Amino acid sequence: MMLAWRLARRELRGSLGSFRVFLACLAIGVASIAAVGSITGAITAGLQGNGRALLGGDVELRLTHRFAEPEERAWLEDEAASLSEVITFRGMIGAPSGERALAQVKAVDGVYPLVGAVTLQDGTLDAALAEQGGTFGGVAEKALLDRLGLSIGDDLRLGTKTIALRGVIASEPDRQTGGIDLGPRLMVSTDALEGSGLLQEGSLYRTRYRLTLAEGDTAEAFQERLDEALPDAGWRWRDLSDPSPGTTRVVERIGTFLILVGLAALAVGGVGVSAATRGYLERKTETIGTLKALGASGGLTVAVYLIQIMLLTAIGIAIGLVIGAGVPLLLGPTLSEALPVPADFGVYPGALAEAAAYGAMTALLFALWPLAMARETPAAVLFRDVVEKGRRMPRPTYLIALLALFAALVGAAIFFSGDIRIGGFFIAGLVVALVAFALMAQVVRWIARRLSQNAALVRGRPALRLALANIGGPGSETTGVMLSLGLGLTLLSTIGQIDSNLRGLIAGDIADEAPAFFFLDIPAPQRDDFVAVAEADSAIEKIDTAPMLRGRITGINGEDADPEKISPEARWMLRGDRGLTYSATPPEGTTLTEGEWWPEDYTGEPLMSFIEEEGRQMGLKVGDTITINVLGRDLTARIANFREVEWRRMGINFTMVTNPAALQAAPHSHIATVYAGAGEEGRLTRLFAQDFPSAVAIPVREVIERTRDLIGQLADAVRGASLATILSGLIVLIGVTAAAQRRHLFEAAVLKTLGAERGTLMRAAVLRYLLLGSAAALLAVAIGAAAAWAVTTKVFEAEYVFALPSALLVGGLGVVATLVTCGYFARRMVAVMPARMLRSRE
Amino acid sequence: MTTPAIALENVSLTLDSKAGPVDILHDLSLQIETGETVGIVGPSGSGKSSLLMLMGALERATSGSIKAFGQDYGSLDEDHLARFRRDKMGIVFQSFHLIPTMTALENVSIPLELAGKEGAFAAARAALEQVGLGKRVDHYPSQLSGGEQQRVALARATVSGPAILLADEPTGNLDGATGASIIELLFGLQGDTDATLVLVTHDEALAARCSRVVRMSDGRIESDIREAAA
Repeated sequence: MMLAWRLARRELRGSLGSFRVFLACLAIGVASIAAVGSITGAITAGLQGNGRALLGGDVELRLTHRFAEPEERAWLEDEAASLSEVITFRGMIGAPSGERALAQVKAVDGVYPLVGAVTLQDGTLDAALAEQGGTFGGVAEKALLDRLGLSIGDDLRLGTKTIALRGVIASEPDRQTGGIDLGPRLMVSTDALEGSGLLQEGSLYRTRYRLTLAEGDTAEAFQERLDEALPDAGWRWRDLSDPSPGTTRVVERIGTFLILVGLAALAVGGVGVSAATRGYLERKTETIGTLKALGASGGLTVAVYLIQIMLLTAIGIAIGLVIGAGVPLLLGPTLSEALPVPADFGVYPGALAEAAAYGAMTALLFALWPLAMARETPAAVLFRDVVEKGRRMPRPTYLIALLALFAALVGAAIFFSGDIRIGGFFIAGLVVALVAFALMAQVVRWIARRLSQNAALVRGRPALRLALANIGGPGSETTGVMLSLGLGLTLLSTIGQIDSNLRGLIAGDIADEAPAFFFLDIPAPQRDDFVAVAEADSAIEKIDTAPMLRGRITGINGEDADPEKISPEARWMLRGDRGLTYSATPPEGTTLTEGEWWPEDYTGEPLMSFIEEEGRQMGLKVGDTITINVLGRDLTARIANFREVEWRRMGINFTMVTNPAALQAAPHSHIATVYAGAGEEGRLTRLFAQDFPSAVAIPVREVIERTRDLIGQLADAVRGASLATILSGLIVLIGVTAAAQRRHLFEAAVLKTLGAERGTLMRAAVLRYLLLGSAAALLAVAIGAAAAWAVTTKVFEAEYVFALPSALLVGGLGVVATLVTCGYFARRMVAVMPARMLRSRE
Repeated sequence: MTTPAIALENVSLTLDSKAGPVDILHDLSLQIETGETVGIVGPSGSGKSSLLMLMGALERATSGSIKAFGQDYGSLDEDHLARFRRDKMGIVFQSFHLIPTMTALENVSIPLELAGKEGAFAAARAALEQVGLGKRVDHYPSQLSGGEQQRVALARATVSGPAILLADEPTGNLDGATGASIIELLFGLQGDTDATLVLVTHDEALAARCSRVVRMSDGRIESDIREAAA
């Protein structure tokens, strides 16, 4: 091994320059993965580091629809060092102008916040919220002031109460973000809600009990005591181990996905690594022959070059890690301001190790084949130019090593992404795309060969003939160009097609069919009046209402509902509160897929109708029982049937529907969907506000608009991550073109000798790259369209529409990338002096 | 008096190298008549290949004038020179210089295609049959032996019926028997077309088959003997 190391060192001396593409490819891939990992790490650490402030204490216990019972509250007060009660709900805020807007209302007690401090642009929270002259105060985010044209001192309507706006919130430590906010924050004191009519039984509000623990107490111990003392309260528990589970989940999901996109950059880099290794070893053919002639074994030969590849891989990875860790650190202060969550920028060894592991495995995977083939170089190359290598495939040992490396890479993707489907599918997608482009390259070559011999086509078009012969002939760079550009363009194309279809779907079908409003918290006694007002208004085309409760699934078939026991795609069902309703008849548009609906007057054992897809994912069957905690009480119902629901119609629909007798007695409110033409929102908000001050109006079109924007932002983030793949692809393309350059220069010299003019050569080069770029773009668009078709039709069950602008963009990018990259080389080719070039080949 | 096929007058060639300018040819004058066969001999580095490159307009002289059929190369730009070569010359190299991405047929048809002539493939096929490669038209250079590659190169150089045939050590990379067959073909093709042939070689016997032998040394013409074969 020492001999191999010595030989490797001598060989590598002065060769680093020829590995620029190798190093760049590896560095870009590793850097992009390390950067995404570092940013994700920074956010996760930021969330953890600010956990107490974000959580508002050491532990938060959340209830839906209800306050803690006196004995529950007493227990908490006894067991915790301090306790604060915070209520959150959506509410309609009325401005003096009569305008109304939806806000996220937060009512706080006198000790809020237990941790951290709310800062206002001017003044203190306690003073701002206090009662002055019979009126309580409130503070709001600036967005609410902007939306309603408010100024400090204005009186606001909240339910039936008047609140004086006394301050603008500058920072709120426990403001949780994630998903789409339905309105800006308005903060008032809990006392201010007294008599507002907003927190009635059945209305949709949440109470959060924030606690700090006594010294020596731990969250685990506290939770144990709580479960023992108040087992049926239906608390939703959060502690410092994950103070912001929603945000953490979103950040981790996006981070995982972006790292996988970075893996695509690495895969493209792998193509460059493979080409660079092959080129290097081809240049070393004589050296390998000499080593063998001098008695070096095949194993030693491989060891000498494997050591060099490993050293280069280490250098490439190191460069990538420095960039990947350094850029987020440098941009940290700017990013921190832009991010809606706290982030603690630093060096995250875990993220860097992940990037390094991917880099090492990819480099070895792509370099091993040429290395294994170099072993087969016989000493006879020293005597004859053309020597048949004994094998066309590497020896079995190397093939096994290749398979093992590939398996390790797949395993790492699954391990790091934490999801066998996401990691596995992504790797499978990468492999399929790479194979598709390699096959496409062969097809393109075959077609080009056939066309170049088609006399009718090429007669009088020498440039076309030259281009086609070059694409189709042996040693052409077709495969290299297709592979280098292919993945990047495919990513862009897939994102473009999916983005366009989703946004189209939201803007088109969904927006057309969606109601103008969802109304929440219509008190049950006012439901009929509400419908009457709606039906009397000529602008309202249709109104549907349904009783609405929220509850958490706590048991399945008599056992605790454990998210780990059901398939990952259905775990969200157990994560939080789910809406449920009751109905004597199947809701409109329902299709029963199994079982029977209950009779209209059924009053027996509670029965439930469950959505088929989620039910199957949870492993449920007709006859199983589901226990739901509603308002602190457990309701166990037997599944009577499964049904199908078309969610995207956005009508009223619930995962779970029970027979009326099961839930009717529980306090609840109603929700309504109101269908009306666009432009009626303002008037209708005011109309319902007069008689139903507690009803919350959610303007659906606005939410759709925001969802569309959010999808656009997500698509932009993925597009940004794809840039690494495109950049990597361009470098590989430059490497491939540079490798082919010497041959093209020689060909140009011969052609000039035979009478080719410079224009003909230039046209031939442009045509060659135009055709190759177009072929790569064409396949990329086709794969992107196929992926988008699958997502649109199978996941969203909508009609797929080919997004021409995205396809044109990808096509244009493919052509421009090849032309610009190759233009430089083509210019050199045209300028070549035949005598000098041919003399050097003699 | 007829216009000479090639006329060089006081031609010098100096090339740049890392060590500084290198004088390759010194004040050289030579006139080759139409239909002549001229062997250029001399030791390695004597400048014979460079002289051929100048005649083929593949290199520009540093000074002096070069004319072919009265056309002064100095007055033509690169593209005009390319067209001139295409229409008047065929060149054969020691290393064949076939285009590796093209089949034998495509290599031979290229000069005709560049000239925009009809029936390029048919003519190329005929030319390959003439050099005995009628059955290997679809082979790529890497699939042909050295002798076969040089035959393809010969077919390519003669397919358009050039008035001047330039050959630079055409047997240099071939074994004796193969080389001999190539030379037979070369002279046969020259005889068929009456082309002016300039053959660079260091094989004295081969040069002796030419009607005139120009001997070079150190970038200068040492001797110029006509009717050597007579």
